[in-house]
Amino acid sequence: MIGGESLLQRLLSSDTKADLLTLFRGNPGLVDGIDGVARRIGRRPMSIKAEVDDLLDLGVLGKKQAGKTVVLYLQKERDAELQKALAAYLSTPGLVSL
Amino acid sequence: MSRSTTGIPELDEMLKGGFMTGDAVMLAGPAGTGKTTLALEYLVNGATNLNEPGVYLTFEQMPDQIYRDAASFGWDLKKLEEENKFRLICTSPSIMVEEGGAEALLDEPIKEIDARRIVVDSVSHLSMYVPEGDLRKEVFRLIRGFKMKRLTPILLWESPQIAGAQMAITDVGMSFLVDSIILLKFIEIESSMRRGLVIMKMRGSDHDKHLREYEITSKGFKVRSSFGAYEGLMTGTPRKSAPAENFATAFATAARKQR
Repeated sequence: MIGGESLLQRLLSSDTKADLLTLFRGNPGLVDGIDGVARRIGRRPMSIKAEVDDLLDLGVLGKKQAGKTVVLYLQKERDAELQKALAAYLSTPGLVSL
Repeated sequence: MSRSTTGIPELDEMLKGGFMTGDAVMLAGPAGTGKTTLALEYLVNGATNLNEPGVYLTFEQMPDQIYRDAASFGWDLKKLEEENKFRLICTSPSIMVEEGGAEALLDEPIKEIDARRIVVDSVSHLSMYVPEGDLRKEVFRLIRGFKMKRLTPILLWESPQIAGAQMAITDVGMSFLVDSIILLKFIEIESSMRRGLVIMKMRGSDHDKHLREYEITSKGFKVRSSFGAYEGLMTGTPRKSAPAENFATAFATAARKQR
């Protein structure tokens, strides 16, 4: 189980990751390969690979084979769990808000 | 023969009750004519009133934009998804034409909601990812796949404004693959831009042959009467049709002047 602070750090460690989360949360029906995902946030596939891998590791994103392409999609239940954990962490008494 | 009603009363009347269930329908027209709105209304009406859940497959337009646009007509697509009556899937066209790609993306959502309707937005985007000459084959494969799953598919096609002598909807012979074609177009009359809808083809069924005016209202599509007083609308040079009595009067006046 990842602690709230480290979870927050991992999820918001880069602009790219924030863009990816915004993309998939706003478009939960998105099922696309890394090329398509990168295009939809105005980036190149290679520049998002590490962040995608981290979100796959966290379980926020899932992947499956579709034809020759590995497609990425939002793991809605896992994402909801993580959002809940983050909300609990952010409401911790004594946490200094910026 | 059972019908897949659109839920738009005037359009269903034009279609003599709705699309024939299982028939592939092409909805063609230039950008801005309301293809997406009409297709969404067909799915929303099916899901809410007719117990016919539907899937919307989009390639370029992002789901968040579709949710927002639908909400402006009072259609809550997210709620329909929660109720397992609707699915919105966004992907790249290239994946749809890979071996097993369409099945991997669509089989699960279709089964989950027992879908009866599907919209592909759009086949014109798909054409950009298919080698020239293969589009007809790929679309045929897609349509057959949908029909085998007992779906009534609507395929959107972004066509240029059709005017003059050029009346072909697509230049790749797509019209032969589908059972019905509805064409939406802009019509300029007396310096104002109006919209017209015509059923170009409906295999195995009678249908209204008139070009009818339509509007996109805050509640969706509203089909009006035909442009009765005008002719030449499809050729792009509309003119008021002169009633026969006008000719008679004009002729009589000219004859009097001659005397």
